[in-house]
Amino acid sequence: MARAQDEWSLTAELARLKLDETEALRLADEAEKMRELFQTMSRADVEGLEPTTHALVRENRIREDDVSGFDHVGDLLDASPETEDEFFLIPNVL
Amino acid sequence: MPVYAEDWRGVLADPALCKIYADGVEKIDERIGSFLSFNAADSESAIGGKGSLDGIPVAVKDNIAVKGRPLTCGSKILENLIAPYTATAVERLQAAGASVVGKTNLDEFGMGSSTEHSALGKTVNPWDFDRVPGGSSGGSAAAVAAGLVPLALGSDTGGSVRQPASFCGIYGLKPTYGTVSRYGLTAYASSLEVIGAMSADIDLLQKAFTVMSAGKDERDQSSVDSDPPGSGEKRIKVLDIPEGVLDSAVAEAYADAAKALSEAGYTVESFALPSYDLVVPAYYTIATAEASANLARFNGIRYGYAPDYAENPVELMKLARHEGFGDEVKLRILLGTYVLRSGFQDQYYGRAQKVRTLIRKQLADLFQSADLLLMPVFPTQAFLYGDDGMDDYRQRVADVFTCLANLAGLPALSVPTGLSKGLPTGIQLMAPAFAEERLFAAARSLSKIYMPQLAPCALNPRSFS
Repeated sequence: MARAQDEWSLTAELARLKLDETEALRLADEAEKMRELFQTMSRADVEGLEPTTHALVRENRIREDDVSGFDHVGDLLDASPETEDEFFLIPNVL
Repeated sequence: MPVYAEDWRGVLADPALCKIYADGVEKIDERIGSFLSFNAADSESAIGGKGSLDGIPVAVKDNIAVKGRPLTCGSKILENLIAPYTATAVERLQAAGASVVGKTNLDEFGMGSSTEHSALGKTVNPWDFDRVPGGSSGGSAAAVAAGLVPLALGSDTGGSVRQPASFCGIYGLKPTYGTVSRYGLTAYASSLEVIGAMSADIDLLQKAFTVMSAGKDERDQSSVDSDPPGSGEKRIKVLDIPEGVLDSAVAEAYADAAKALSEAGYTVESFALPSYDLVVPAYYTIATAEASANLARFNGIRYGYAPDYAENPVELMKLARHEGFGDEVKLRILLGTYVLRSGFQDQYYGRAQKVRTLIRKQLADLFQSADLLLMPVFPTQAFLYGDDGMDDYRQRVADVFTCLANLAGLPALSVPTGLSKGLPTGIQLMAPAFAEERLFAAARSLSKIYMPQLAPCALNPRSFS
């Protein structure tokens, strides 16, 4: 279990998730149960099968390589917590 | 109380009726908690269209964008976000005359089966206030069942429209993947999810679907033109369910619905899905993998919640996600990151994608000799808040009957089948791609026996004038 705990801590780091101690224990326990469920797929015979990325892809959608405008720049900036001129303002991290 | 869309026409256009309506919603929703935001007075159609949905008030799940209204996704991380544009599906409803009146509660980012995982409010089942409304589109289902709107939009990644619709006794449609544009839907698991609709009125539901699926949307690369295969020959297969999976009320409703369809002229035969046990593991591997990628954008920088201070950029992201996300979202990001990790990817994610191919092939084979598949929606009726027998793990495993349609991209409809022990029961029908028409036809056959009812507490638009 301790090894499993380390695996989940490393995974949390990769996912940019900070977990406090009790949260880490609880989530590792729950995640381990789900991992065991995922593991049951090892019994499936999938020899020769192609992976499905999308169930109903009929064509590769393409468009003309034209320049097009984006109408919502101001709206998106307005939706951010803080802005300065045309830039997102983020907390001081230095 | 039978429901008719016609009863709603004219309510929003008349300021006096609109005020009575808004007051009625406020009073009932104090107890139900279906809306996260509601404003009927400011709900005139943005495009001002007139059409098949003229005057219909619509509730929209709060992970679908409606310009000028909140878009919280039920999460603290987006609690203060106002949508800067409107989803294509909503735009099309508005162009046909419908008006958005509010945004509904959900499990955070659509991750859950009970709406218990919303960070922003509690929604209860209008049939029994001690029970969950289902999820993740629990607010939309509760709003319709409580008579607050005749039509609501949800999103369905693994059953999130059909299961709450069933828990609340109304219809819930998950369309064929790609027929309804996802532009404006906050992404959770892009290869699985669709925008769906709920109503207690099958005609209104079909109209809404027809409007939303009218041609592909250039703004969603995965959207397609519908290509219906015809009405079929009324051949239904009934999914074999392992002993002990369904509770007695659900099992009884399931058997009764098969009998009712047989009496309505359908041929009914049983069907065993060979890969039944692989459905949930494959679904959750793929859904969490896609969630971990899609939710990487919530990093405390571009929009949403940000901490006041952090030591460095990585710490900023971690703090924003730590303080902004709830447990279920963190768990799914964690799992998704794990199954995509170098060294594990082939064993989990790669394998799940191949299992998905296997399941699709088995369903394609089935639909060679059948026009519809009858299934339960969920193993139980709406369960109690805090039910020990239905913890988060069991809720995920119970998605087996609904997430099948998402893995295969196929359309499915949950259909109410009356009450048992005072709570709604329902069944689910699945069809081949683009055969939504067959679902509506079979639902109409069943509606002659099981007339959908709203909850006893429901608002009645006929009482407004």
